[in-house]
Amino acid sequence: MFQIRVFKQLAWFFKLEWRTYALGIVLLMFVAALELVPPRIIGRIVDEINRESLETDLLWMLLGGLAAVGIGNYVARFFWRYFIFGASIRLGRMLRSQLYRHFTDLDQRFYKKSRVGDLMAHATNDVQAVSTTAGAGILTLVDSITMGTFVIITMVTTISWKLTVVALLPLPIMVALTTRYGKLLHNRFGVAQAAFSELNDKVQESVSGVRVLKSTGEVGRDVDSFEKLSDEVMAKNVRVAKIDALYDPTIFGIVGLSYILSIGYGAYLIEQGELTIGQIVSFTAYLSLLTWPMLAFGWLFNIVERGRASYDRIERMLAVKPEIQDDPMAATKLAHSEIEADIHAFRYDETPVLQDVTFRIERGRTLGIVGRTGSGKTTIVRLLTREYDVHDGTIKIGGINIRQVKKSLLLDKVAVVPQDHFLFSDSIANNIAFGKPEAKLDEIMEAAKIAEVHEDIMRLPEGYATLVGERGVTLSGGQKQRISIARALMIEADVLILDDALSAVDAKTEEAIIEHFRAGNPDQSRLIVAHRLSAVEHADEILVLEDGRIIQRGRHQDLIREPGWYKDTYDRQQLEAIVEGGGHHEA
Amino acid sequence: MKHDVQEWAVIKRLLAYTNRYSRPLSLAFVFLLLATGAKLAGPFLIKVFIDEFVTPGVYPTNWVVTLLVVYLVLHVSAIIFDYLQSISFQKIALKIVQNIRMDIFRHVMGMRLAYFDRTPAGVLVSRITNDTEAVKELYVGVMSTFVQSAVQLLGTYIFLYILEPTLATMGLVLVPLFWLIIWVYRRYSTKYFAQVRDLLSQLNGQLNESINGMGIVQQFRQEERLVRQFEETNEAHQQARYRNLKLDSMLLRPIIELLLAFSIIGLLGYYGVLSTTEQVQVGVVYAFISYIERIFRPVLDIMQRLSEFQQAVVSADRVFKILDTDEPAPGKSLEGTADIGSGEVRFENVTFSYDGEVDVLKHISFVAKPGETVALVGHTGSGKSSIINLLTRFYPYQSGQITIDGHPIEQFEEAELRAKVGLVLQDPFLFTGTIEDNLKLFNPTIDSDKVREAAEFVQAHTFVEKLEAGYGHTVGERGATFSSGERQLLAFARTVARDPKILILDEATSSIDTETEERVQLALERMRRGRTTIAIAHRLSTIQDADLILVLHRGEIVERGNHQSLLNQDGLYKKMYELQSGQRLMS
Repeated sequence: MFQIRVFKQLAWFFKLEWRTYALGIVLLMFVAALELVPPRIIGRIVDEINRESLETDLLWMLLGGLAAVGIGNYVARFFWRYFIFGASIRLGRMLRSQLYRHFTDLDQRFYKKSRVGDLMAHATNDVQAVSTTAGAGILTLVDSITMGTFVIITMVTTISWKLTVVALLPLPIMVALTTRYGKLLHNRFGVAQAAFSELNDKVQESVSGVRVLKSTGEVGRDVDSFEKLSDEVMAKNVRVAKIDALYDPTIFGIVGLSYILSIGYGAYLIEQGELTIGQIVSFTAYLSLLTWPMLAFGWLFNIVERGRASYDRIERMLAVKPEIQDDPMAATKLAHSEIEADIHAFRYDETPVLQDVTFRIERGRTLGIVGRTGSGKTTIVRLLTREYDVHDGTIKIGGINIRQVKKSLLLDKVAVVPQDHFLFSDSIANNIAFGKPEAKLDEIMEAAKIAEVHEDIMRLPEGYATLVGERGVTLSGGQKQRISIARALMIEADVLILDDALSAVDAKTEEAIIEHFRAGNPDQSRLIVAHRLSAVEHADEILVLEDGRIIQRGRHQDLIREPGWYKDTYDRQQLEAIVEGGGHHEA
Repeated sequence: MKHDVQEWAVIKRLLAYTNRYSRPLSLAFVFLLLATGAKLAGPFLIKVFIDEFVTPGVYPTNWVVTLLVVYLVLHVSAIIFDYLQSISFQKIALKIVQNIRMDIFRHVMGMRLAYFDRTPAGVLVSRITNDTEAVKELYVGVMSTFVQSAVQLLGTYIFLYILEPTLATMGLVLVPLFWLIIWVYRRYSTKYFAQVRDLLSQLNGQLNESINGMGIVQQFRQEERLVRQFEETNEAHQQARYRNLKLDSMLLRPIIELLLAFSIIGLLGYYGVLSTTEQVQVGVVYAFISYIERIFRPVLDIMQRLSEFQQAVVSADRVFKILDTDEPAPGKSLEGTADIGSGEVRFENVTFSYDGEVDVLKHISFVAKPGETVALVGHTGSGKSSIINLLTRFYPYQSGQITIDGHPIEQFEEAELRAKVGLVLQDPFLFTGTIEDNLKLFNPTIDSDKVREAAEFVQAHTFVEKLEAGYGHTVGERGATFSSGERQLLAFARTVARDPKILILDEATSSIDTETEERVQLALERMRRGRTTIAIAHRLSTIQDADLILVLHRGEIVERGNHQSLLNQDGLYKKMYELQSGQRLMS
């Protein structure tokens, strides 16, 4: 029972909500106490009827008492529920918020390591389980203890301790049996769940591999194999049902045994003159009040066990700290945003990813970085935005090492359009204005025009109000990329970084965007990382990376003349353009 | 009210599934009736005991023993029949779910590929497994609860009538009261429950999206704003849950308990008043109290299952929607039977469009004579894959004709077409299971020898033998542990094991490791021998010996001929060739 520890872990919350819990628990105990009254009144009336001595006045008084108890119970029941379950709802909300806030604090390194599904599970299932612990868990704990003791004490003191002992004899059997069923059920349910997830995988596989199955003509046999698996799932569920179906009959059987014992032995006690019929009737009513606390105890164990495991996971999650944190002495102002990078070496793990990479991006100038996949281009972008820190070498902005600059300031100065164009399920306007929610529509349109996506947007059914993402329209990769560019333009950063952000945009549009950039803000400096060389043609300097080293650097006009990677790639891409056009140069 | 009509249609359709199980269902009903009868007889016997023996205080041994024996027999049979009815209902429910699952799986797997292109795999998986699982809850939990509760209610009333018709008639007042409570509860709970569910899915949606787009959120420093948005939804969700909680606290258990209290007051009042004028048997009072308590439990059970019920109906509706989507794969649609003999493939003026708007193939005509190889080359989107999709009869085409050995492909039986036309896919899909399983692909007519033979033929044998378990090696992670070349060889073996007359090859775009490349080439050559082959080639070097090369551009054949003649033409093919040989030189 050391699982109860979870209540200790949640002590902070109980302290915070102590008033609600205190009220709820007092009311719960009040209900438990009130519940003891009706059986006594009923017994009294039965006795009076039996003795044929019932006075109408007494009857009305007793019935009035029953009514008062009934109404009192109703009100108290309503409120304890409201207090205790209300607190559990609040706990769920608090944990969810804590987790969400925590997620916003964690850096990209963390997200690269984690699976979205796991993170989601913390905020959904685990929060749910903990919240249940603080609600139903507390309820079952308090209720089963108070109700159980109250009822037994009343039985012993007001009726007969002998009868109580005899009647309660079978109940431990019930506890033992239901606990045993609980374990069996847990195991079998686990097996059934595993079979179900296997079935899930099977469906996933059949749907993904539908081409293979159809082309080999094996769909029918695949359906057969699904049937086999599905039969298995059914058989395993039947095994669960076999245990599940035991509960009701067992409880009925054992409680019935208690009844017959109390009535039989009670009859004997009546014969002995120790009891009245009314007392037996009261006694059986008390007995029925005991069933619930007995069952609740088994439940409690399950709830608390789940709650503890879940709360441990949540606590572990909240304990994760972002790896890159602001230096307390970090700069909060920059004189200018010129970038000077002097990276001697950088590695994620063992192998160096960058070696001797140096460059400057002066105000209003454009730097292009090209090279094949895996040559280190994106790593440079990651270092500039401090997703990772360089330890061997320095990167300066405005003359200050970026490790001594407040990260929020750095991000204000440097805007990145990443490779993967992520849009939120929101309107296009809101997506573009994501970094500047107060922006006006004409500002948004201005950015969209620069990113060459304005006309695409206007063609959509609801223009800028069109919803994108899961529930909205599907945009092409190129359109998404251009919206990402517009989004980055909105924040008017001093440095704009395009990390291969034009890959899905056709050549003509790319040219137009680059042209807009050149004609635009003369103070903004740019870093363009690209696969297609046309994107960096106009750059003031181009770096060619290979295996993390700069193998060529210079301007386009010079690089196409010197033999090497740049020229080879340039020639190939020219040819590719011709092939794409169907063998002719396209105008 | 339209909503209700739909709900009814779904329920009716779900009930229709029970037709197949009318016999076991009748048996389950018999068990249920026996169990209910035996259970309800208990209080009646106790009444007899109290009134006949306890009140007068005489205990004729044989009568008491008889009564005890009868009670115990009934008690034990109640336990047994209760178990039997519960397990029978659950078994039937699970079987029905199994039927529904098979129906939808078979139906989905029989759909045309266009359907799979359009519908995300996740959606299909969720319909086939999760939604049917929700339907399972409906059958196992809800429907059996409804049936059991209804029978128990009815049975209890019958016993009340036997005991005291006047009072039982008065008790009928409860029926409209119950109905009213359920009606009011349902009216609000449907709404509140839907609100809670919607807000929860909104909450999870926001969380999921934020986790996925956290990079962007942090880059644009919108953490605070998103936290605020999340808090808003979280707050709204909390409010909705409060409303739900209040409703449940007001109208579920507390009100049922209150009603019970007042019913007992009415009962005692009736007998109390009666006892002042005539003799009342206390046993009847006892029995009445026991019965009346039993009336309330089923009502509560039903109410607590209502929301679950609504959820399940929504799921069932989604399942039925898919079952009603009728888009069968194009199959045999012409009269007469035909066999594939020599394997001559002919396209005559074939025009095809996926969406009925844009033609992706325009007037395609060519002939592949028996044993010849026809290669399809062209840029992405040129229509190569569409030609394959038509020849494999995956998509119906709009005009022209495709024939094999002079018969339109619509004339072949599915089995004949799949057996004689072998397709090797670009990215060979490997299923969970052993290598042997993957080569057999559920087909029992292919034995282990044939598997080995095929693997040896395509030279996959060498690497398979090196694996610890050989052909018994379990393929992990969809075959990610194999190189792309090895996966390709396995796909070859899978096709060769079926010994098709016509071979359709969709060459892998991804580069294959040089080690296996050679083996792949050799295997291709061997496979093509004696088979008519239609091959999509990405690397022109692999098809230099093709009898006919078709160069496609935007759905049209722009050049045709053999390798040499095409090079001489100095057109698109030549450009492509240069591009690729250049690329080769560089790498």
